[in-house]
Amino acid sequence: MDSSKELIKTVDLLLDISSLLMVSGANTNRVNLSIYRFASALHFNTSCFISHKSIVMTVYEDNSTLSCTRVKNIPPYAINFSIISSVSKASWTAVEEHWTLDKISKEIETIKKQKRYPKLVVLIAVSLSGAGFCNIFKGDYLNMGVAFFSTFIGLLIFQLTHKEKYNVYLRIFSASLIASILASLGIIFNIGSNPQTALATSILFLVPGVALINSFTDFLDNNIINGMVRFTTGLMTVLAIALGLFIAMILFQLN
Amino acid sequence: MLTTILNLLEVAAWSGIAALGFGILFNIPKSVIFTVFMLGFTAGLIKFSLMYFNVHIVLATFIAVFFVGIICMPVAHKIHHPPVVFCIPPTIPMIPGYFAYETVLSVMNFIFMEDDQAKRVELIDTIFTNGFTMIFILISIAAGISLPMLLLRKDSVKKIEE
Repeated sequence: MDSSKELIKTVDLLLDISSLLMVSGANTNRVNLSIYRFASALHFNTSCFISHKSIVMTVYEDNSTLSCTRVKNIPPYAINFSIISSVSKASWTAVEEHWTLDKISKEIETIKKQKRYPKLVVLIAVSLSGAGFCNIFKGDYLNMGVAFFSTFIGLLIFQLTHKEKYNVYLRIFSASLIASILASLGIIFNIGSNPQTALATSILFLVPGVALINSFTDFLDNNIINGMVRFTTGLMTVLAIALGLFIAMILFQLN
Repeated sequence: MLTTILNLLEVAAWSGIAALGFGILFNIPKSVIFTVFMLGFTAGLIKFSLMYFNVHIVLATFIAVFFVGIICMPVAHKIHHPPVVFCIPPTIPMIPGYFAYETVLSVMNFIFMEDDQAKRVELIDTIFTNGFTMIFILISIAAGISLPMLLLRKDSVKKIEE
């Protein structure tokens, strides 16, 4: 193959991998490490600039003047730890077994095709974790039932609005509003011994845990810009959640 | 005594379930499901046992999360997955949701409802107590999860000898 064509193919593949990792919720350090591993398996050097919405990357060789620089836009984020794990495993095997370009791109295609858990399983698991939260904050079984129900409906709203391609903060706001309205009914009708906990925990499924933890690790690695972006995203999410809760509390005059 | 232990175990089991629920939301690989549950269970057990012995919630959370941060290194070698995959879900049940709720509630009362001066001072006290407890818990989660790796000065778990 022509060496410049190979360079273009390599940079496209590496960009694909790094955008896949960013979308799945890896921190910047992990993206850099994975690119470094894949590039060293292919005997190339890379330098790149990673931001929240796009990646710029240059691939070059030590003993030649050829180089290739490309930019890739990152699609919307959807956290997926299975992909992070498989890409990490693939990067180690690629280094150990000296994989070729074709083999790596084939592996990445199979990783991309991995299925997510079915929506119903996710709904039930997350609602159970809402009930679990309610137990942690000293709610009884009736409160846990309320938390389970409101989390279920809230997440359902969140999933359904995803198909309609609404703005993500609007989706978070409406999910939080509906979940907290349902949980407020528990306070109005005085269900269980501690109905406030159900309201407090019914919205916790929206908490941007991954964004905030990644933002902190990015700060520690001196990736300040990405850390700031992730922190701001997390903050916006928290504001949207709080606004939904706030409006539900005003509607029902809870104090 | 027995009821206390049973209560602690129950609340720890629910933290495990909460961790697992978030894990499934983040689409963790099927082979780490059990690990996530056990880590969530252990972290919850540590946190609530410490709180039973009157350790402050911030310190208890920090110790529990720090434990997760340390234990994830040998576990990562054993089950062959990078630590992020099974370290973030068990820390999610530590998120101070109730403190956040209390803060929002008292801010709302302070702005929209309360006119009595003495009660307004009380509300300021509630806002600050709950708000800062929440912030300190968040800091202790973030520090506890990343401190073990920083102390070992390694950027990948693979390079740490077993």
